[in-house]
Amino acid sequence: MKISFILNKKNVEVDVSPSMRLLDVVRDVLGLTGTKEGCGEGECGACTVLVNDEPYNSCLTPIINVANKEVMTIEGFRETKSYRIIADAFASQGGSQCGFCTPGMILATYAVLKKNPHPSEEEARLALSGNLCRCTGYQAIVDAVMLAAKKGIEL
Amino acid sequence: MINHFVPKNLKEALTILNKHDCYIMNGGTDLMVQKHVSTGLLPKFDKDVLYINNLKELDYIKKDEEGIHIGASTRYVEIENSPLIPNIYKRVIKEIASPNIRNMATISGNIANASPAGDTLVPLVLNDAEVVLTSANGERKMKVDEFVYGVRKIHREKNELISEIVLKPQELSYFYRKVGSRKAESITKVSFLGGVKIENKVIKDFRVSFGSVAIKTVRNREIENKYIGRNINELDINEVINDYAPLVTPITDQRSNKEYRHKVAMNLLKKFVMDIKEGGINE
Ligand SMILES: Cc1cc2nc3c(=O)[nH]c(=O)nc-3n(C[C@H](O)[C@H](O)[C@H](O)COP(=O)(O)OP(=O)(O)OC[C@H]3O[C@@H](n4cnc5c(N)ncnc54)[C@H](O)[C@@H]3O)c2cc1C
Ligand code: FES
Ligand code: FES
Repeated sequence: MKISFILNKKNVEVDVSPSMRLLDVVRDVLGLTGTKEGCGEGECGACTVLVNDEPYNSCLTPIINVANKEVMTIEGFRETKSYRIIADAFASQGGSQCGFCTPGMILATYAVLKKNPHPSEEEARLALSGNLCRCTGYQAIVDAVMLAAKKGIEL
Repeated sequence: MINHFVPKNLKEALTILNKHDCYIMNGGTDLMVQKHVSTGLLPKFDKDVLYINNLKELDYIKKDEEGIHIGASTRYVEIENSPLIPNIYKRVIKEIASPNIRNMATISGNIANASPAGDTLVPLVLNDAEVVLTSANGERKMKVDEFVYGVRKIHREKNELISEIVLKPQELSYFYRKVGSRKAESITKVSFLGGVKIENKVIKDFRVSFGSVAIKTVRNREIENKYIGRNINELDINEVINDYAPLVTPITDQRSNKEYRHKVAMNLLKKFVMDIKEGGINE
Protein backbone atom coordinates (compact mmCIF):
# COMPACT_ATOMS: atom_id res chain seq x y z
CA MET A 1 0.00 0.00 0.00
CA LYS A 2 1.27 3.50 -0.85
CA ILE A 3 1.64 5.61 2.30
CA SER A 4 2.90 9.20 2.37
CA PHE A 5 4.23 11.23 5.23
CA ILE A 6 6.72 13.99 5.85
CA LEU A 7 10.14 12.82 6.95
CA ASN A 8 12.63 15.41 8.14
CA LYS A 9 10.70 18.16 6.35
CA LYS A 10 10.53 16.30 3.00
CA ASN A 11 7.54 14.48 1.52
CA VAL A 12 8.13 10.77 1.18
CA GLU A 13 6.03 7.92 -0.12
CA VAL A 14 6.64 4.27 0.69
CA ASP A 15 4.93 1.19 -0.68
CA VAL A 16 4.74 -1.18 2.29
CA SER A 17 2.28 -2.99 4.54
CA PRO A 18 0.41 -0.57 6.83
CA SER A 19 1.54 -2.82 9.70
CA MET A 20 5.26 -2.26 9.09
CA ARG A 21 6.94 -0.65 12.08
CA LEU A 22 7.92 2.98 11.55
CA LEU A 23 11.35 1.91 12.85
CA ASP A 24 11.82 -0.58 9.98
CA VAL A 25 10.53 1.89 7.41
CA VAL A 26 13.01 4.52 8.54
CA ARG A 27 16.01 2.20 8.86
CA ASP A 28 15.50 -0.45 6.19
CA VAL A 29 13.30 1.18 3.56
CA LEU A 30 14.65 4.72 3.78
CA GLY A 31 18.18 3.91 4.98
CA LEU A 32 18.31 6.29 7.95
CA THR A 33 20.06 4.32 10.67
CA GLY A 34 20.34 7.02 13.37
CA THR A 35 17.17 5.64 14.97
CA LYS A 36 18.14 2.58 17.04
CA GLU A 37 16.38 -0.57 18.08
CA GLY A 38 17.00 -1.70 21.63
CA CYS A 39 14.20 -3.78 23.08
CA GLY A 40 11.65 -3.70 20.27
CA GLU A 41 8.93 -3.68 22.94
CA GLY A 42 8.44 -0.06 23.93
CA GLU A 43 10.60 -0.16 27.03
CA CYS A 44 13.93 1.45 26.17
CA GLY A 45 13.27 4.53 24.02
CA ALA A 46 16.26 3.94 21.71
CA CYS A 47 13.84 4.08 18.77
CA THR A 48 12.37 7.48 19.72
CA VAL A 49 11.36 9.76 16.82
CA LEU A 50 9.20 12.87 16.81
CA VAL A 51 5.73 12.63 15.29
CA ASN A 52 4.08 16.03 14.89
CA ASP A 53 6.75 17.19 17.35
CA GLU A 54 5.86 14.61 20.04
CA PRO A 55 8.14 11.66 20.89
CA TYR A 56 6.91 8.21 19.81
CA ASN A 57 8.48 4.77 20.11
CA SER A 58 8.90 3.91 16.44
CA CYS A 59 9.17 0.19 17.28
CA LEU A 60 5.48 0.13 18.27
CA THR A 61 4.15 2.47 15.60
CA PRO A 62 2.54 0.84 12.57
CA ILE A 63 3.55 3.05 9.66
CA ILE A 64 -0.07 3.82 8.76
CA ASN A 65 -0.47 5.64 12.09
CA VAL A 66 1.86 8.39 10.83
CA ALA A 67 0.31 8.73 7.35
CA ASN A 68 0.31 12.41 6.37
CA LYS A 69 2.00 13.38 9.63
CA GLU A 70 5.42 14.95 10.22
CA VAL A 71 8.10 12.56 11.34
CA MET A 72 11.50 13.80 12.50
CA THR A 73 14.41 11.46 13.14
CA ILE A 74 17.76 12.38 14.64
CA GLU A 75 19.09 12.97 11.08
CA GLY A 76 16.54 15.76 10.56
CA PHE A 77 16.85 17.08 14.08
CA ARG A 78 20.61 17.53 13.55
CA GLU A 79 19.83 20.45 11.27
CA THR A 80 18.12 22.43 14.04
CA LYS A 81 19.61 24.94 16.50
CA SER A 82 18.06 23.04 19.41
CA TYR A 83 20.12 20.03 18.41
CA ARG A 84 23.40 21.94 18.71
CA ILE A 85 22.56 23.15 22.20
CA ILE A 86 21.41 19.74 23.44
CA ALA A 87 24.25 17.82 21.78
CA ASP A 88 26.85 20.23 23.21
CA ALA A 89 25.33 19.80 26.67
CA PHE A 90 25.51 15.99 26.33
CA ALA A 91 29.14 16.23 25.19
CA SER A 92 30.25 18.56 27.97
CA GLN A 93 28.47 16.63 30.75
CA GLY A 94 29.53 13.18 29.55
CA GLY A 95 25.89 12.30 28.83
CA SER A 96 26.87 9.97 26.01
CA GLN A 97 29.28 7.03 26.19
CA CYS A 98 28.64 4.19 23.73
CA GLY A 99 26.03 6.42 22.11
CA PHE A 100 23.38 3.80 21.46
CA CYS A 101 20.73 5.55 23.57
CA THR A 102 21.84 9.04 22.55
CA PRO A 103 19.61 9.75 19.52
CA GLY A 104 16.59 8.80 21.63
CA MET A 105 17.85 10.73 24.66
CA ILE A 106 18.42 13.87 22.60
CA LEU A 107 14.93 13.78 21.11
CA ALA A 108 13.43 13.05 24.53
CA THR A 109 15.36 16.00 25.98
CA TYR A 110 13.98 18.25 23.26
CA ALA A 111 10.46 16.99 24.04
CA VAL A 112 10.81 17.73 27.78
CA LEU A 113 12.24 21.19 27.29
CA LYS A 114 9.58 22.08 24.77
CA LYS A 115 6.84 21.26 27.30
CA ASN A 116 8.68 22.52 30.34
CA PRO A 117 11.65 24.82 29.55
CA HIS A 118 12.89 24.81 33.16
CA PRO A 119 12.27 21.37 34.62
CA SER A 120 13.42 20.38 38.09
CA GLU A 121 15.83 17.43 38.19
CA GLU A 122 12.96 15.26 39.34
CA GLU A 123 10.79 16.37 36.40
CA ALA A 124 13.65 15.77 33.98
CA ARG A 125 14.13 12.24 35.34
CA LEU A 126 10.43 11.48 35.04
CA ALA A 127 10.30 12.81 31.51
CA LEU A 128 13.24 10.60 30.49
CA SER A 129 11.93 7.57 32.38
CA GLY A 130 11.09 5.75 29.14
CA ASN A 131 14.68 6.03 27.86
CA LEU A 132 17.19 3.53 29.16
CA CYS A 133 20.96 3.91 29.17
CA ARG A 134 23.33 1.10 30.07
CA CYS A 135 26.48 3.24 30.29
CA THR A 136 26.16 6.57 32.02
CA GLY A 137 24.18 5.82 35.18
CA TYR A 138 21.82 8.67 34.17
CA GLN A 139 23.23 11.45 36.35
CA ALA A 140 25.36 12.80 33.49
CA ILE A 141 22.30 12.74 31.23
CA VAL A 142 20.20 14.63 33.76
CA ASP A 143 23.05 17.14 34.12
CA ALA A 144 23.04 17.57 30.35
CA VAL A 145 19.29 18.22 30.33
CA MET A 146 19.66 20.81 33.10
CA LEU A 147 22.50 22.51 31.24
CA ALA A 148 20.53 22.59 27.98
CA ALA A 149 17.61 24.06 29.92
CA LYS A 150 19.89 26.76 31.32
CA LYS A 151 21.18 27.65 27.86
CA GLY A 152 17.64 27.57 26.52
CA ILE A 153 16.78 25.57 23.43
CA GLU A 154 15.43 27.43 20.46
CA LEU A 155 11.99 26.34 19.34
CA MET B 1 -4.45 -14.16 2.97
CA ILE B 2 -4.56 -11.48 5.62
CA ASN B 3 -6.19 -8.19 4.64
CA HIS B 4 -5.12 -4.85 6.07
CA PHE B 5 -8.00 -2.38 5.99
CA VAL B 6 -7.40 1.35 6.26
CA PRO B 7 -10.85 2.95 6.35
CA LYS B 8 -11.31 6.61 5.45
CA ASN B 9 -14.10 7.18 7.93
CA LEU B 10 -16.09 5.46 10.65
CA LYS B 11 -18.87 4.33 8.33
CA GLU B 12 -16.39 2.52 6.12
CA ALA B 13 -14.76 0.95 9.19
CA LEU B 14 -18.12 -0.41 10.36
CA THR B 15 -18.97 -1.77 6.92
CA ILE B 16 -15.67 -3.66 6.89
CA LEU B 17 -16.26 -5.02 10.40
CA ASN B 18 -19.67 -6.28 9.33
CA LYS B 19 -18.01 -8.54 6.75
CA HIS B 20 -14.62 -9.40 8.27
CA ASP B 21 -13.43 -10.61 11.64
CA CYS B 22 -10.59 -8.17 12.36
CA TYR B 23 -7.99 -7.19 14.88
CA ILE B 24 -8.56 -3.54 15.64
CA MET B 25 -5.31 -1.56 15.61
CA ASN B 26 -5.40 1.64 17.58
CA GLY B 27 -2.25 3.15 19.11
CA GLY B 28 -0.59 -0.24 18.75
CA THR B 29 1.22 -0.21 22.10
CA ASP B 30 -0.29 -3.55 23.10
CA LEU B 31 -1.08 -5.13 19.74
CA MET B 32 2.30 -4.37 18.12
CA VAL B 33 4.07 -5.97 21.08
CA GLN B 34 1.80 -9.02 21.00
CA LYS B 35 2.25 -9.53 17.23
CA HIS B 36 5.94 -8.64 17.02
CA VAL B 37 8.16 -11.31 15.46
CA SER B 38 11.64 -9.89 15.07
CA THR B 39 13.64 -6.99 13.65
CA GLY B 40 12.89 -6.28 10.03
CA LEU B 41 9.95 -8.70 9.87
CA LEU B 42 6.34 -7.64 9.68
CA PRO B 43 4.19 -8.26 12.74
CA LYS B 44 2.39 -11.56 12.33
CA PHE B 45 -1.40 -11.54 12.31
CA ASP B 46 -3.61 -14.60 12.01
CA LYS B 47 -6.63 -12.63 10.83
CA ASP B 48 -7.45 -9.33 9.11
CA VAL B 49 -6.48 -6.00 10.65
CA LEU B 50 -8.51 -2.79 10.74
CA TYR B 51 -6.64 0.45 11.48
CA ILE B 52 -8.68 3.07 13.35
CA ASN B 53 -6.09 5.32 14.98
CA ASN B 54 -6.26 7.93 12.20
CA LEU B 55 -10.04 8.32 12.21
CA LYS B 56 -10.63 11.98 13.02
CA GLU B 57 -14.26 11.24 13.87
CA LEU B 58 -13.06 9.22 16.89
CA ASP B 59 -10.63 11.86 18.17
CA TYR B 60 -12.48 14.15 20.58
CA ILE B 61 -13.26 15.00 24.19
CA LYS B 62 -16.56 16.71 24.86
CA LYS B 63 -18.91 17.25 27.75
CA ASP B 64 -22.70 17.25 28.02
CA GLU B 65 -25.30 16.46 30.68
CA GLU B 66 -24.70 12.71 30.30
CA GLY B 67 -20.98 12.91 31.03
CA ILE B 68 -17.61 13.39 29.37
CA HIS B 69 -17.26 11.65 26.03
CA ILE B 70 -13.83 10.48 24.91
CA GLY B 71 -13.51 9.26 21.32
CA ALA B 72 -11.82 5.90 20.83
CA SER B 73 -8.72 7.17 19.07
CA THR B 74 -8.06 10.00 21.56
CA ARG B 75 -4.58 9.50 23.03
CA TYR B 76 -3.60 9.66 26.71
CA VAL B 77 -1.64 12.87 26.13
CA GLU B 78 -4.80 14.62 24.95
CA ILE B 79 -6.72 13.35 27.98
CA GLU B 80 -3.97 14.51 30.37
CA ASN B 81 -4.09 17.99 28.85
CA SER B 82 -7.84 18.46 28.62
CA PRO B 83 -9.59 20.78 31.09
CA LEU B 84 -12.73 18.63 30.79
CA ILE B 85 -11.22 15.52 32.37
CA PRO B 86 -11.67 14.90 36.12
CA ASN B 87 -8.40 14.98 38.05
CA ILE B 88 -8.60 11.39 39.23
CA TYR B 89 -8.24 10.16 35.63
CA LYS B 90 -5.31 12.47 35.01
CA ARG B 91 -3.58 11.17 38.12
CA VAL B 92 -3.98 7.57 37.02
CA ILE B 93 -2.89 8.28 33.44
CA LYS B 94 0.21 10.23 34.50
CA GLU B 95 1.49 7.03 36.12
CA ILE B 96 1.01 4.91 33.01
CA ALA B 97 4.11 3.88 31.03
CA SER B 98 6.36 6.65 29.66
CA PRO B 99 5.66 9.97 27.92
CA ASN B 100 6.30 8.33 24.53
CA ILE B 101 3.71 5.62 25.13
CA ARG B 102 1.21 8.16 26.41
CA ASN B 103 1.63 10.10 23.17
CA MET B 104 0.55 6.99 21.25
CA ALA B 105 -1.79 4.89 23.37
CA THR B 106 -5.53 5.18 23.92
CA ILE B 107 -7.93 4.50 26.75
CA SER B 108 -10.16 2.40 24.46
CA GLY B 109 -7.13 0.20 23.75
CA ASN B 110 -6.51 -0.16 27.49
CA ILE B 111 -10.12 -1.27 28.05
CA ALA B 112 -10.32 -3.64 25.07
CA ASN B 113 -6.97 -5.19 25.94
CA ALA B 114 -8.63 -6.26 29.21
CA SER B 115 -5.46 -6.94 31.15
CA PRO B 116 -5.95 -7.35 34.91
CA ALA B 117 -3.13 -4.77 35.15
CA GLY B 118 -4.90 -2.22 32.91
CA ASP B 119 -4.56 0.93 34.96
CA THR B 120 -7.47 2.96 33.62
CA LEU B 121 -9.92 0.17 34.44
CA VAL B 122 -9.60 0.95 38.15
CA PRO B 123 -11.04 4.50 37.99
CA LEU B 124 -13.39 3.61 35.12
CA VAL B 125 -14.97 0.81 37.15
CA LEU B 126 -15.10 2.80 40.39
CA ASN B 127 -16.76 5.78 38.71
CA ASP B 128 -19.33 3.79 36.66
CA ALA B 129 -17.88 4.80 33.29
CA GLU B 130 -19.42 3.29 30.15
CA VAL B 131 -18.23 2.17 26.75
CA VAL B 132 -20.22 2.84 23.62
CA LEU B 133 -20.08 -0.08 21.19
CA THR B 134 -20.91 0.78 17.62
CA SER B 135 -21.62 -1.45 14.63
CA ALA B 136 -23.21 -0.95 11.22
CA ASN B 137 -26.50 -1.85 12.91
CA GLY B 138 -26.41 0.78 15.64
CA GLU B 139 -24.91 1.33 19.04
CA ARG B 140 -25.25 0.13 22.61
CA LYS B 141 -23.80 1.15 25.94
CA MET B 142 -22.36 -0.92 28.71
CA LYS B 143 -20.64 -0.26 32.02
CA VAL B 144 -16.89 -0.86 31.76
CA ASP B 145 -17.26 -3.12 34.80
CA GLU B 146 -19.55 -5.48 32.81
CA PHE B 147 -17.84 -5.06 29.46
CA VAL B 148 -14.57 -6.54 30.76
CA TYR B 149 -15.40 -9.92 32.28
CA GLY B 150 -12.06 -11.71 32.52
CA VAL B 151 -8.43 -11.81 31.43
CA ARG B 152 -8.54 -10.52 27.83
CA LYS B 153 -12.29 -11.16 27.81
CA ILE B 154 -14.72 -8.46 26.65
CA HIS B 155 -18.33 -8.41 25.53
CA ARG B 156 -17.57 -7.18 22.02
CA GLU B 157 -19.34 -8.66 19.03
CA LYS B 158 -17.16 -9.20 15.96
CA ASN B 159 -18.86 -6.41 14.04
CA GLU B 160 -18.46 -3.84 16.82
CA LEU B 161 -15.83 -1.42 17.92
CA ILE B 162 -15.61 0.82 20.95
CA SER B 163 -16.46 4.22 19.52
CA GLU B 164 -16.31 6.18 22.76
CA ILE B 165 -15.99 6.08 26.52
CA VAL B 166 -18.36 8.05 28.71
CA LEU B 167 -16.99 9.24 32.04
CA LYS B 168 -19.47 10.00 34.80
CA PRO B 169 -18.00 12.60 37.14
CA GLN B 170 -18.65 11.78 40.79
CA GLU B 171 -18.53 13.89 43.92
CA LEU B 172 -15.90 11.83 45.68
CA SER B 173 -12.58 12.35 47.39
CA TYR B 174 -10.06 9.80 46.20
CA PHE B 175 -7.10 7.84 47.49
CA TYR B 176 -5.05 6.24 44.66
CA ARG B 177 -1.87 4.19 44.82
CA LYS B 178 -0.15 2.18 42.11
CA VAL B 179 2.57 -0.20 43.17
CA GLY B 180 4.99 -1.26 40.42
CA SER B 181 8.71 -1.72 40.08
CA ARG B 182 10.23 0.80 37.71
CA LYS B 183 8.56 3.95 36.53
CA ALA B 184 8.39 3.54 32.76
CA GLU B 185 7.65 -0.13 32.35
CA SER B 186 5.93 -0.58 35.65
CA ILE B 187 3.28 -3.12 34.85
CA THR B 188 1.16 -2.74 37.92
CA LYS B 189 1.62 -5.26 40.72
CA VAL B 190 -1.24 -3.86 42.75
CA SER B 191 -3.31 -0.75 42.38
CA PHE B 192 -5.89 0.64 44.74
CA LEU B 193 -8.51 3.32 44.40
CA GLY B 194 -10.85 4.37 47.18
CA GLY B 195 -13.53 7.03 46.76
CA VAL B 196 -15.57 8.49 49.58
CA LYS B 197 -18.01 11.28 50.32
CA ILE B 198 -18.51 12.33 53.93
CA GLU B 199 -20.96 14.88 55.33
CA ASN B 200 -21.00 15.70 59.05
CA LYS B 201 -19.03 12.53 59.79
CA VAL B 202 -21.58 10.39 57.96
CA ILE B 203 -20.48 8.34 54.95
CA LYS B 204 -22.65 9.33 51.98
CA ASP B 205 -20.75 7.35 49.36
CA PHE B 206 -18.07 4.68 49.71
CA ARG B 207 -16.34 2.84 46.87
CA VAL B 208 -13.27 0.68 46.51
CA SER B 209 -11.57 -0.88 43.49
CA PHE B 210 -8.40 -2.95 43.16
CA GLY B 211 -6.36 -3.62 40.01
CA SER B 212 -4.01 -6.55 39.28
CA VAL B 213 -5.29 -8.67 42.15
CA ALA B 214 -7.89 -10.84 40.37
CA ILE B 215 -8.94 -11.78 36.82
CA LYS B 216 -10.60 -8.40 36.51
CA THR B 217 -10.82 -5.13 38.42
CA VAL B 218 -12.41 -5.79 41.81
CA ARG B 219 -15.40 -3.78 42.94
CA ASN B 220 -18.26 -4.96 45.14
CA ARG B 221 -21.39 -2.89 45.57
CA GLU B 222 -22.84 -5.03 48.33
CA ILE B 223 -19.91 -4.28 50.60
CA GLU B 224 -19.96 -0.62 49.63
CA ASN B 225 -23.66 -0.28 50.49
CA LYS B 226 -23.04 -1.73 53.90
CA TYR B 227 -20.87 1.24 54.82
CA ILE B 228 -22.99 3.98 53.30
CA GLY B 229 -24.84 5.82 56.06
CA ARG B 230 -22.32 4.90 58.79
CA ASN B 231 -20.73 7.41 61.06
CA ILE B 232 -16.96 7.43 60.50
CA ASN B 233 -16.46 6.76 64.22
CA GLU B 234 -18.26 3.45 63.80
CA LEU B 235 -16.18 2.38 60.83
CA ASP B 236 -14.21 -0.67 61.93
CA ILE B 237 -10.98 -1.21 60.02
CA ASN B 238 -10.91 -4.96 60.60
CA GLU B 239 -14.48 -5.36 59.44
CA VAL B 240 -13.64 -3.64 56.13
CA ILE B 241 -10.48 -5.72 55.70
CA ASN B 242 -12.39 -8.95 56.38
CA ASP B 243 -15.04 -7.99 53.83
CA TYR B 244 -12.54 -7.38 51.05
CA ALA B 245 -9.87 -9.99 51.85
CA PRO B 246 -11.66 -12.90 50.10
CA LEU B 247 -12.17 -10.84 46.89
CA VAL B 248 -8.50 -10.11 46.52
CA THR B 249 -7.16 -13.25 44.86
CA PRO B 250 -3.89 -12.35 43.17
CA ILE B 251 -1.65 -14.81 41.38
CA THR B 252 2.08 -15.33 41.55
CA ASP B 253 3.93 -14.38 38.37
CA GLN B 254 7.39 -13.17 37.41
CA ARG B 255 6.58 -9.72 38.72
CA SER B 256 5.50 -10.59 42.22
CA ASN B 257 4.05 -13.29 44.44
CA LYS B 258 0.49 -13.59 45.61
CA GLU B 259 1.16 -13.21 49.34
CA TYR B 260 2.99 -9.94 48.74
CA ARG B 261 0.22 -8.63 46.51
CA HIS B 262 -2.49 -9.54 48.98
CA LYS B 263 -0.62 -7.88 51.81
CA VAL B 264 -0.02 -4.67 49.85
CA ALA B 265 -3.65 -4.51 48.74
CA MET B 266 -4.88 -4.90 52.30
CA ASN B 267 -2.41 -2.31 53.62
CA LEU B 268 -3.63 0.23 51.07
CA LEU B 269 -7.24 -0.47 52.03
CA LYS B 270 -6.32 -0.04 55.68
CA LYS B 271 -4.65 3.28 54.97
CA PHE B 272 -7.75 4.45 53.10
CA VAL B 273 -10.07 3.54 55.98
CA MET B 274 -7.73 5.07 58.56
CA ASP B 275 -7.62 8.31 56.58
CA ILE B 276 -11.43 8.37 56.46
CA LYS B 277 -11.63 7.93 60.21
CA GLU B 278 -9.17 10.75 60.70
CA GLY B 279 -11.22 12.88 58.29
CA GLY B 280 -8.38 13.19 55.86
CA ILE B 281 -9.03 12.02 52.30
CA ASN B 282 -8.14 14.93 50.17
CA GLU B 283 -6.46 14.13 46.91
C1 LIG C 1 6.46 -0.15 27.69
C2 LIG C 1 4.99 -0.23 27.97
C3 LIG C 1 4.50 0.19 29.20
C4 LIG C 1 3.14 0.10 29.48
N1 LIG C 1 2.70 0.53 30.69
C5 LIG C 1 1.40 0.44 31.00
C6 LIG C 1 0.93 0.86 32.27
O1 LIG C 1 1.68 1.36 33.11
N2 LIG C 1 -0.40 0.71 32.55
C7 LIG C 1 -1.27 0.18 31.64
O2 LIG C 1 -2.45 0.07 31.94
N3 LIG C 1 -0.86 -0.21 30.41
C8 LIG C 1 0.45 -0.11 30.08
N4 LIG C 1 0.88 -0.52 28.83
C9 LIG C 1 -0.07 -1.12 27.89
C10 LIG C 1 -0.67 -0.20 26.81
O3 LIG C 1 0.15 0.92 26.55
C11 LIG C 1 -2.08 0.28 27.18
O4 LIG C 1 -2.91 -0.83 27.40
C12 LIG C 1 -2.69 1.19 26.09
O5 LIG C 1 -3.75 1.93 26.67
C13 LIG C 1 -3.22 0.45 24.86
O6 LIG C 1 -3.76 1.39 23.95
P1 LIG C 1 -3.44 1.32 22.37
O7 LIG C 1 -4.27 2.36 21.70
O8 LIG C 1 -1.99 1.38 22.12
O9 LIG C 1 -3.99 -0.14 22.05
P2 LIG C 1 -3.73 -1.17 20.85
O10 LIG C 1 -2.46 -1.87 21.06
O11 LIG C 1 -3.95 -0.52 19.55
O12 LIG C 1 -4.94 -2.17 21.14
C14 LIG C 1 -5.01 -2.92 22.34
C15 LIG C 1 -6.18 -3.92 22.26
O13 LIG C 1 -7.42 -3.24 22.24
C16 LIG C 1 -8.13 -3.49 21.03
N5 LIG C 1 -8.73 -2.20 20.66
C17 LIG C 1 -8.09 -1.00 20.58
N6 LIG C 1 -8.97 -0.02 20.33
C18 LIG C 1 -10.19 -0.60 20.22
C19 LIG C 1 -11.50 -0.10 19.95
N7 LIG C 1 -11.73 1.21 19.75
N8 LIG C 1 -12.54 -0.98 19.91
C20 LIG C 1 -12.31 -2.31 20.14
N9 LIG C 1 -11.11 -2.84 20.39
C21 LIG C 1 -10.04 -1.99 20.42
C22 LIG C 1 -7.11 -4.02 20.07
O14 LIG C 1 -7.68 -4.86 19.12
C23 LIG C 1 -6.17 -4.77 21.00
O15 LIG C 1 -6.68 -6.01 21.33
C24 LIG C 1 2.25 -0.43 28.51
C25 LIG C 1 2.74 -0.83 27.27
C26 LIG C 1 4.09 -0.74 26.99
C27 LIG C 1 4.60 -1.19 25.65
S1 FES D 1 13.32 -0.29 20.64
FE1 FES D 1 11.55 0.87 20.80
S2 FES D 1 11.41 1.24 22.88
FE2 FES D 1 13.09 -0.12 22.79
S1 FES E 1 25.56 5.83 26.35
FE1 FES E 1 25.55 3.68 26.12
S2 FES E 1 23.48 3.20 26.40
FE2 FES E 1 23.54 5.25 26.94
